[in-house]
Amino acid sequence: MIALSVAAALAIFVVYTALAGNGVQQVTPSTVAGHTGDVTLVGAVVGAPQTSAAYTKAGMRFQLKDIGSASAARVPVVYHGSVPDLFKAGRHIVVEGSLRNGVFVAKPGSLVTKCPSKYAPAKSSKT
Amino acid sequence: MAPLGRAALLLAFGLVAYALLAGSYAAWKRRRRLALSAQNALLAAFPTTLVAAVVLLVALGRRDMSFAYVWEHTSHKLPLGYALSAFWGGQEGSLLLWLLVLTGYAGLAVWLNRRSRELIAWTVPVFGLVGVFFAFMLCFVSSPFNVQPAPPDGRGMVPSLQNPYMLAHPPMLYLGYVGLTVPFAFAMGALLSGRTDERWIVATRRWTLAAWTFLGVGQLIGAHWAYVEIGWGGYYAWDPVENAALMPWLAATAFLHSVMIQEKRGMLKVWNMVLVALAFNLSLFGTFLTRSGVIDSIHSFARSSIGGWFLAFLGLMVFLSVALIRWRLPLLRTKTRLESLVSREATFLYNNLLLVALCLTILWGVLYPILSEAVRGETRSVSKPYYDFFLHTFGLPLLLLMGLGPLVAWRRASLRSLGKTFLVPFAAAVATGVALLALGFGSSWPGLLAYTFGAFVAASIVLEFVRGRAAAGGIFRLIARNRRRYGGYVVHAAVVLLAIGIAGSSAYQTERERVLRPGQSVEAAGYTLTYLGSTGVSGPNYTGFRSLVSVAGHGERFALHPGMNSYDIEGPANVASIYHDPRSLGDVFTTAQLAGQHSNRIDLKVFVKPLINLIWAAGFLFVAGALVAMWPDAVEQRRLAARYAAGAAPAGI
Amino acid sequence: MEWALALAAMLAVVAVVFVARPFLRDPSPASDRLDELAPEARRRLALAEERDRALAALKELEFDHRTGKISDEDYRSQVGLLRRRAAEALRALEHGEQAEHERVADPGQRVP
Repeated sequence: MIALSVAAALAIFVVYTALAGNGVQQVTPSTVAGHTGDVTLVGAVVGAPQTSAAYTKAGMRFQLKDIGSASAARVPVVYHGSVPDLFKAGRHIVVEGSLRNGVFVAKPGSLVTKCPSKYAPAKSSKT
Repeated sequence: MAPLGRAALLLAFGLVAYALLAGSYAAWKRRRRLALSAQNALLAAFPTTLVAAVVLLVALGRRDMSFAYVWEHTSHKLPLGYALSAFWGGQEGSLLLWLLVLTGYAGLAVWLNRRSRELIAWTVPVFGLVGVFFAFMLCFVSSPFNVQPAPPDGRGMVPSLQNPYMLAHPPMLYLGYVGLTVPFAFAMGALLSGRTDERWIVATRRWTLAAWTFLGVGQLIGAHWAYVEIGWGGYYAWDPVENAALMPWLAATAFLHSVMIQEKRGMLKVWNMVLVALAFNLSLFGTFLTRSGVIDSIHSFARSSIGGWFLAFLGLMVFLSVALIRWRLPLLRTKTRLESLVSREATFLYNNLLLVALCLTILWGVLYPILSEAVRGETRSVSKPYYDFFLHTFGLPLLLLMGLGPLVAWRRASLRSLGKTFLVPFAAAVATGVALLALGFGSSWPGLLAYTFGAFVAASIVLEFVRGRAAAGGIFRLIARNRRRYGGYVVHAAVVLLAIGIAGSSAYQTERERVLRPGQSVEAAGYTLTYLGSTGVSGPNYTGFRSLVSVAGHGERFALHPGMNSYDIEGPANVASIYHDPRSLGDVFTTAQLAGQHSNRIDLKVFVKPLINLIWAAGFLFVAGALVAMWPDAVEQRRLAARYAAGAAPAGI
Repeated sequence: MEWALALAAMLAVVAVVFVARPFLRDPSPASDRLDELAPEARRRLALAEERDRALAALKELEFDHRTGKISDEDYRSQVGLLRRRAAEALRALEHGEQAEHERVADPGQRVP
């Protein structure tokens, strides 16, 4: 009986993943090149972007680099829409969108700062 | 001072290591005095760890910057309360808190059950093993007592952590996480000693319930914190760190139910062992998740100093759990079978399956990025739609089951009996559903189902109280004589409130975002919000603005002041302004950001979230129900004591 | 920080004494064997749990019947079975206890 139910649950699961697709591709600034279509970009903010520009026509512009690795890869990002809390240089963020002509065009409002990991080794001021 | 802390931790390490080694040997070779000695070592571990904890607290309170940990997490200007809360704000300190709570719980649990010598002889080394890991980490890998030449001031505490929630949320969660070690240790102790009776369950019932309550309340506090302070408009984001606490809680919920079946029918012994091991290992995993940042990517995992150790220990505990259960499988198997698919046992079983299924799908979602990176070299992740789908698929039937369970009798329920008891709640549900449909709630079918099922469960619970009161002659007598059952019903009522609150605030919320000039308004769910202008604000470590938004609607008028603070150190932070509507138990939640640098235009975001305050109310009801269920019952205690005292007496010379 | 070191040393001494206490109190005991349940005692415990389960089930059946959750017919069909189970459990327990007393009184005699 238990086996049956487990099978049923697994079946629902398999059907869902088959229909809904295998999640969204997650990339970093060093791996984003060459990806067409929607991806999720994870990176650390470089420099101090003007958050209020997020509502102008031109949008807010900033650069992202890899978290943790010493890679020199940088990706320019243009973003419109509400800026989440604690967005600033060095913060790790996640943003959805797609790469167009070398610039990552973000989906409006899709910028998320990662849940602050209080226990990660010292970052912010050092990155 | 730091040497004292270090010495205390080394001593604690020695004590738990002795408890593990001597305890195992003593239990294996049946040496009474050695077993007692190991027990004493475990008991002594708590005051020893406490000394280390006090040293750290004093250092934090004094802002003694010669402690690297104090320097890292506090500053002289930091208010005392927050400086003390830095105890659990950093990695080393939180490991120490784990050890402190563990030794405290272990000592108390072992002391209270010391007469069950055979069981305790094996439980002590299990506690010792868990303690050895944390003590080892604290002594040799991640010490809170590293010293340095004292710099003038510390790094300070992240402003978003400087609020009362930081004082409550982590300790609550720890009391929950660590608490799940107690039933685990006793369960493994029972397996090791070959005892298949219920002693371990009886001994740990209240511990499990208490740990589960702390874990649940801790999560609600965290959700409230996210909602009010972080201000993105929600309270749960399916972030791995949040899921880390939800998974063990779900497993523990399943365990609390299935243990009742073992009690009543003597079934499911193997399943209970699996569940308690799952709950414990998930709580270890949860601790590991929040510490090591492993979910960001495998690369960040390698950077963390303790990630590898944690993973190894987790692997060890999973291996030991599986091995022990497998070893004792013949002893645990019983001949009792489920008599009918329509019985209370069966509904408990379905409840368990749904809870575990939900738990595992969340686990899968959390692990997916790592697994896909390891297997395919590219990181993929799942997000809200994935979790929402499974929350609906498994959560809604669970809600329904909460109402069905009490209506169904043990062993076998005839359809005739079912029909009788079923009628009123069913009618209530149908009436609610139809009414809601007519009122336009059909826009979201999960929401509609949640409300309808909620009505069903609520009616079923009310009926339980009404019928029971008539039979027992008074409501207090009823509850006093059936504490677990009716305490459980109160907890179920809390879950119904929670479900309705979640459904209302997500399925039926209204969201609007508009850029407004002074004088312009936006409309949302019958409220008209008019932006009147902004003023600048400043504080000791921030500057910012507050906008004035006048709101009218549903016969009310009020003002909201959303804005932003830009902290010197931390950057911008939303300051949400929320109105709690007593009429609808919902909220009007607003945030504002400046749209353009030199204008006074704002980007106003409004969420109208019906019934969201039921979620927080549910928290209180939750605790009340758990307390009733936990309340000691003198009659039952005596009976149980008699049962086990007779068994514990030496059998012959 | 001499006082701190002294405190640490004191802690260590107290801990060691506490850990050694069972040996210090009882240097040459009659038996150092850890009590464990003999198989008969374990059986009796299992029977006691069975008895409690049967009695609790009966009590719950009565309660469910009084509160109208179980119809009269269902009650009648189940109560007989539960009462029998409870009686059997009680009997088995008494038999086991009696057998235990006999065995203790005359260890040489084996009881089936």
